[in-house]
Amino acid sequence: MPRRRFSAVPWFFLAPALILLLYFKFIPMAQGLKMSFYKVRYSGDVWVGWENYATVLTSEAFTSAIWHTVILAAGITAGSIVIGLVLALLVEGQARHLWFIRTAAFLPVVTTVAVVAEVWRIMYYPAEDGPLNSIFGWFGIGPQPFLANENSSLMSVMAMGIWKGAPYDMMIFLAGLAGVDRNLYEQAAVDGANVWKRFTQITMPALRPVFFIIFILAAIRGLRIFTEVFLATNGAPNGSTEVLMTLIYKLGFQQGELGVAAAGSIVLFAATVVLTVGVQLLRRKERDT
Amino acid sequence: MSAQRFDTVLGLQQRRSPLAVIIKIAVYTLMVLVFAGPLIGLLIGAFSHVVDPTKFSLVPEGGFTFANFGRAGERRIWNYLFNSFVVVGFGLALQMLVSVFAAYSLARKRMRGASILMLLILATMMLPEEVIAVPLSVVLADVPPFGIVDPGMRVNLTNSYLGMILPVGAWGFSILVMTEFMKEVPIELEEAAKIDGAGDLRTFFFVILPLCRPALGVIGVFGFTMIWDQYLLPLIVAVDYTHWTLPLALRSLRGDEEVGIGVLLAGTILAVLPSILVFLAFQRQFVRGLTSGAIKG
Amino acid sequence: MMSRRWTVAVTIALAVVVTGCSKTTPPPTNQDPGAPIEIWIRQAPESDSHKTLIKMANAFTAKTGIQTKVTAIFDGFETKLQQQGAQHALPDVVINDTAQLGNMQLQGWLREIKKSDVPGSEKITDRAWAAAQASDGKFYAMPFSAQSFLLLVRADWRKKLNLPEPKSWEELASMAKAFTDNDPDGNGKKDTYGFVIPGGTERGYMSWYASSFIWGNGGDFVAKSGEGKWQPAINNTKSVEAVSWLKDQFCAQKTVNPGAVNNNTTVTHEVFEKGQGGIYLVGPYVLARFVKSMGTDKIEAIALPKGPSASGPGTLAEGENVYLMDGSKNQAGQLKFAEFAASVEGQSIGMNKDDPGAIVRLPVNKDVDMSKVRADARWKVFQDFYNTAGVYTPSVPNWAPFRQTTADAINAVMANCGSDVRQSMDKLADQLGAELKKQNVLAS
Repeated sequence: MPRRRFSAVPWFFLAPALILLLYFKFIPMAQGLKMSFYKVRYSGDVWVGWENYATVLTSEAFTSAIWHTVILAAGITAGSIVIGLVLALLVEGQARHLWFIRTAAFLPVVTTVAVVAEVWRIMYYPAEDGPLNSIFGWFGIGPQPFLANENSSLMSVMAMGIWKGAPYDMMIFLAGLAGVDRNLYEQAAVDGANVWKRFTQITMPALRPVFFIIFILAAIRGLRIFTEVFLATNGAPNGSTEVLMTLIYKLGFQQGELGVAAAGSIVLFAATVVLTVGVQLLRRKERDT
Repeated sequence: MSAQRFDTVLGLQQRRSPLAVIIKIAVYTLMVLVFAGPLIGLLIGAFSHVVDPTKFSLVPEGGFTFANFGRAGERRIWNYLFNSFVVVGFGLALQMLVSVFAAYSLARKRMRGASILMLLILATMMLPEEVIAVPLSVVLADVPPFGIVDPGMRVNLTNSYLGMILPVGAWGFSILVMTEFMKEVPIELEEAAKIDGAGDLRTFFFVILPLCRPALGVIGVFGFTMIWDQYLLPLIVAVDYTHWTLPLALRSLRGDEEVGIGVLLAGTILAVLPSILVFLAFQRQFVRGLTSGAIKG
Repeated sequence: MMSRRWTVAVTIALAVVVTGCSKTTPPPTNQDPGAPIEIWIRQAPESDSHKTLIKMANAFTAKTGIQTKVTAIFDGFETKLQQQGAQHALPDVVINDTAQLGNMQLQGWLREIKKSDVPGSEKITDRAWAAAQASDGKFYAMPFSAQSFLLLVRADWRKKLNLPEPKSWEELASMAKAFTDNDPDGNGKKDTYGFVIPGGTERGYMSWYASSFIWGNGGDFVAKSGEGKWQPAINNTKSVEAVSWLKDQFCAQKTVNPGAVNNNTTVTHEVFEKGQGGIYLVGPYVLARFVKSMGTDKIEAIALPKGPSASGPGTLAEGENVYLMDGSKNQAGQLKFAEFAASVEGQSIGMNKDDPGAIVRLPVNKDVDMSKVRADARWKVFQDFYNTAGVYTPSVPNWAPFRQTTADAINAVMANCGSDVRQSMDKLADQLGAELKKQNVLAS
């Protein structure tokens, strides 16, 4: 064992990362923490203690935004997982044409979020001859208002999220499926198991860890959803799609309530941490038993 | 009798009856239409005379035209594209350099507090721009400690390329992927180089880095997508249109009272094309990053 | 071992907190009479309006020697301004809606303007000065531009169907009905409508549109009740009558272009240009555009008739002020710019003749002779209607939330034909009351 002496070399290599993280992650975080206890005003900040947090947790705007965020995150996560899994099962295999279909289906994932929102705003155009409504028309379904009506807006944003999320999950499921031992399938077939049995008894258990990962990634992404909503509806109509981040943005950057916005951000951060750590613990427990 | 072969769970590939083939084709066509259709419509729309959303379809209308791009050019679309490329070019270069440097230290150099540092870096992955947007905008406008020491020395990164580049310079994901990869590089090679008298930097650039090429591909592709996809950060940093990136400009094209939707479509195509091209060119790295990054959590 | 790690972590965290926390009050600004003036305007970058302002700023520089930097921002203008405020880096001058005055003044961003400090202030119309006054009675802006809303009507359609110029809402409704039913464009298809309406909720468009009808019928959103106090008025008989009349156009007569409840002005301009509708209640800023795109013979400007319950005409008046922002390094230069912007020379440049890109729609300076600058006589109709019927949005501390709330509610009434106007307006009145209370101006 060589004796340990202080060496500047590792710090030299680490310095750029640490400085950047300090300036653009930790200092803003600390600043945000500080702001969350102040009424931030142009003419000078005033200490208000926990008042901003109370506002976040009790005001109607925030509670409904939190609610929308949770619904949206849950819906997008669940929808993407289910559809992603179905897609993965459908396009599993080595054939050349499957590669093509996988690539085509994966395009939404690499599509810039801003473009996703613009495309779907157009697709959802609520007039009778809007793109999606025309297609609905072929099946005898009357024109839908989509984003324009408060009863359907959140669902429409959710569908948009699933459109982008499902292919992503599909790709990860495919990687998981590739790792399933083929011999197990053959043995099962010898034992007379049908497709469904094969799926539930071999595939699903083998995909278990993949589910955890997808779930946590999707849930975290869902909680901090911003750009999609900001561009598609910006919370409209009548606040029916207002999510935590769009509300924070409005409060912080439009209404000048930086303190309340900062408190909202801290709450969002706490929720993310709790979710991540919680799932990790659950996963560890699962692995140990 | 040998056991049936299974490449997939459903065994779809084995079914070759005419009915099965028709159903397969129908399902796959539907898949492509649902996921790629809107983007194809976008592409077609950008080159046709669309004026409103009701004319948006997979069938081109009124013939092929470049007029939308011309109009978009009048709306400075090429400047926005240029801004996007500046940010992604320098941002990605910085991000990759910072990541390999940090990863080298974390993977190779035994140092005190390495695990705490790793924890801190991991924690930043839970700290995306969204969460710190509000305070970040304040910090960017007056980078400590200069402005506090003397108001005249105030460093204001808003409305500058640096304000969009520096915050993406260190990304936990890239550092993590790189660190994991470097741990696998055999230490003997490095020691051999040391014996030959190479210094730390030389060893790093000429021995370690070339071996990391696969991982560089992964962090390169992911870094590109991550930076190209930035919305909130440029939204905060860019004060006026001189520093807008392309995604930001789309919103103003939509609200522009003097141009039609065709111009918006032209803009969206330009905004989406680079990331799709990068994906198609580096598909393997992309999928590898997706699964390795994801599986390791 | 573990505890030492934690000590390290906590130390780092503390160090971060300490460096992060320091700034509290803005530093005092040292004056520099040579410092350039940064001017912001809420217009699309590179638009004709942006260019007009640059022309004006250059003329200012030529006259005073003070350099300028013009910034045009359209989307998220208020957001950017808010951010600059939070960063204590406001521009020197902002040209923005009169309705933003309360909002900006409340945040402490605006310099008070004393009329005596600005040479030529007596030339500015009183109506325009009133829109530069905050609820505390002081002036916080230099008037710059005004506009009123009236009806742009398809002259060719009206001529073809041989309809009189509408003098009452009843006649207006029958003209709309005729435009809808009698094939005014003569293409044999039933593809035209009476009204084109930007009835979406974005930026409060529906409220903006409906306000002319509400004031035009003697109604109101909130009514003044004592000094600096207000109470909701949107559910009084006249207001409800106006909203019901509009709803009638949407739901019963079906004289409004389809999809109007989702449209912003961008789309609505196009709908009008494409000839899908023949009556557009709009400000004069689009006049030059329509004349250029549709031909001058097809457009006529007609004052909005007064409603059945009104004693006189009323219509939305708004405009832009020149706001002088706090924290400027060149306060003398700020004042000089304000003076220039409202002068005959500044106003004339801003009016930009008959071309698109007029940042001064109707001049606020009495000495400006409209007919000398602009040949198009329709501008005169706007000017006269502004002088006789213009109503500015109430000078509550911050009008923005009112506009949004009323837009949401009125939009819901138009979008849902089964709705009860009275009930909806009662509910809206409660919401407006709550907002008044929030802004501390609710009359008890």
